[in-house]
Amino acid sequence: MRCMSILWAEAVKSHQHNFHNKLVYFSLLIWPALLFVTSYYSFKPFNLSATGPLSAYIETDQIILFLLTGYLAYIFFWSLVQSAWNMSYERQAGTLELIFLTPVSRITVMYARAAGNLFEAVWLFTLFTLLVLLTTGQADHIHWANVPIALLFLSISAIVWGGFLNIVFLFSRDAGILFTIFEEPMQFFSGVRIPVLAFPVWGKVIAFFFPLTYVLDIFRKLILDGAGLLQLIDQFLMLAGVLAILFTVSVLLLKKAEHHAKETGNMVLF
Amino acid sequence: MWLPFSATFERNYLVMRRAFPWSFFLGHILSGVYIIVFAYLSYFYVFRGELNNRFISSAGTGDYLSYVILGGLLYSFSVSLLMIVSRAIITELREGTLEALLLSPSSRKGYYLGYMAQGFMRVGLEFFAITSAGYFFGLHLKNINWINIIVVLIVLILATFTQALILGTFMLYFRDTYITQNTLFVLMSLVCGITFPPAFLPESVALIGEIMPLTHGLDALRMVWIEGKPLSEVFPLLLKILVLGIVYFPIGAVCIKKMEKIVLEKHFG
Repeated sequence: MRCMSILWAEAVKSHQHNFHNKLVYFSLLIWPALLFVTSYYSFKPFNLSATGPLSAYIETDQIILFLLTGYLAYIFFWSLVQSAWNMSYERQAGTLELIFLTPVSRITVMYARAAGNLFEAVWLFTLFTLLVLLTTGQADHIHWANVPIALLFLSISAIVWGGFLNIVFLFSRDAGILFTIFEEPMQFFSGVRIPVLAFPVWGKVIAFFFPLTYVLDIFRKLILDGAGLLQLIDQFLMLAGVLAILFTVSVLLLKKAEHHAKETGNMVLF
Repeated sequence: MWLPFSATFERNYLVMRRAFPWSFFLGHILSGVYIIVFAYLSYFYVFRGELNNRFISSAGTGDYLSYVILGGLLYSFSVSLLMIVSRAIITELREGTLEALLLSPSSRKGYYLGYMAQGFMRVGLEFFAITSAGYFFGLHLKNINWINIIVVLIVLILATFTQALILGTFMLYFRDTYITQNTLFVLMSLVCGITFPPAFLPESVALIGEIMPLTHGLDALRMVWIEGKPLSEVFPLLLKILVLGIVYFPIGAVCIKKMEKIVLEKHFG
C-alpha cells in the first residue's frame, strides 16, 4: 500500500513538473518521430535490394517494422534517461534532500520515480507507432496477441533501468556526461537501427553490456515473429539475469550514495 | 564598439576557462564523431560497401564516407554556432546579468561579435577534433584548397549567425533552450542532407531544407572538398546562403530587439 502511495506521489510530481508547458510534446513526439524518420532515410544510400547484404538479417521490406519496434523500445529506455536527468534539478531545488529526510524506502522512491514517469513519457510515441503501422499497411505483420505481454516486459525492464539511472544521479549532478557518452552507442549497438547479428564479434561484445539489447531481442521475437513464451525461455532467463544484476548493483550503489552524501555534507551540492 | 567586444570576449574566455560545462564541448564533438563512426560501421560491416545507384547520382559522388564525415563535421559546427549566439541573451537572463547589460549604453553589435569571436575559439577546437577523427575514418585531406573551404565556411557562418538570432528570439519567447534548440537540431539532421541526400526525401519535406543555410553550405563544402571544384562553380550555392542570411538578418534583429523589451518589462517591471 505504501509503495502505491509513493508511486502515485511520484507520478503526480512528474506530471506537474513536466506537463505545465505544452513544449513537452516536442520531446515526447516530434523528436522521436523525426529520429525514426531520419534513421529510415539513413538506410537509403545503401543497397537495400532483396539480395543486398542486409537481407541476410532482416527482410528488406520489413525495415520500417524493424526500425519502429527498435525505436519504440528505445523510447521506453530513453524517456527514463530524461527523467533521471531531472534529478539534478531535484538536487538543486532541495526536494531530493526533503525526500531523503522522510521515512520512505529509498529504493522504492528511485523505482517509483522511474515508473511514475514512464507511462506519460511513452504513450504518445506508442500511438505514433500504431498510426505508422496502420498507414503503411504493415499492421498485418504484427502478432497482436503478444503485444500486451511484450509491452509489459519492456516496461518492467525500462523501470529497472530507470531506477538504476536515478541512483547514478545521486552521486553527482553532472552525471549527464555519462549519457552524452553512452546514449548514441546504446542506440547503435543494442540493435535499435541495425540487427546485432550483423556486427562483428567486438560489436556483439559491446551490445552485451546494454540491457536494451536483451529486451529488444525478446520484444521483436514476440511481436514480429509471433514466438511463444516457452520458445523464448532462454532469452527470458538471460534478461532476468541481467535485470537481477542491475537491481543488485542499484541497491549497493544507493547505499554507497547515501553514505557518501552523509559524509560529505548535503545532497544539494555535489 | 571595440570596448564591449573586448570586454565580452574576455569575460567569456574566463567563463570558458573557469566554469564552462565541459560536457557541452565534449557533447558537440561526440555528436559529430558518432555520426562518423556509426556511418563507417554501417558502411563496412553491415552493407559491405554496397551503395545504391541513386545515392551516387544524387550525391554526385560514390565516396559515401567522405560524404557523411563532412555531413557530421558541418552539422556539429552549425549546431555549436547556433547555440553560441542564440543562447547569449537567455544565459544572461538566467545568470542575472541581463538587466545590467540592457541598462548599459554599450553597442549590442560589439557584444554579439565578442560573443561570437570567443565562441569561435571553442568551435575551432571542435572542428579540428572532428576533422582529425574523420581523417582516421577515411576523410581525405590531400590536395585540398583550404582557401576555398574557408570562404565557404565564412559565408555559412554569416548566415548561421542570422539564423541564430531568430532561434534566440524563440528561446526568449518560450524561456526555454533545451526543447527549442533541440527541435531545430533534430529537424536539421533530417532535412539538411547530413547522412543522405535530401533528394531521397518527399519533395515537401526537402523544401524545409531549402531554407536552412546548412543544406547549401554542405553541398558547397562537399563540392570543394571532395570533388575539388573551384569557387566559381559553387557560387550559386554561396549566393543562396547569402540570400537566406539577408532575409533572416532583419527579421532576427528586429524580433530579438522586441523580445528584449518584452523580457525587460516582464521580468524587471
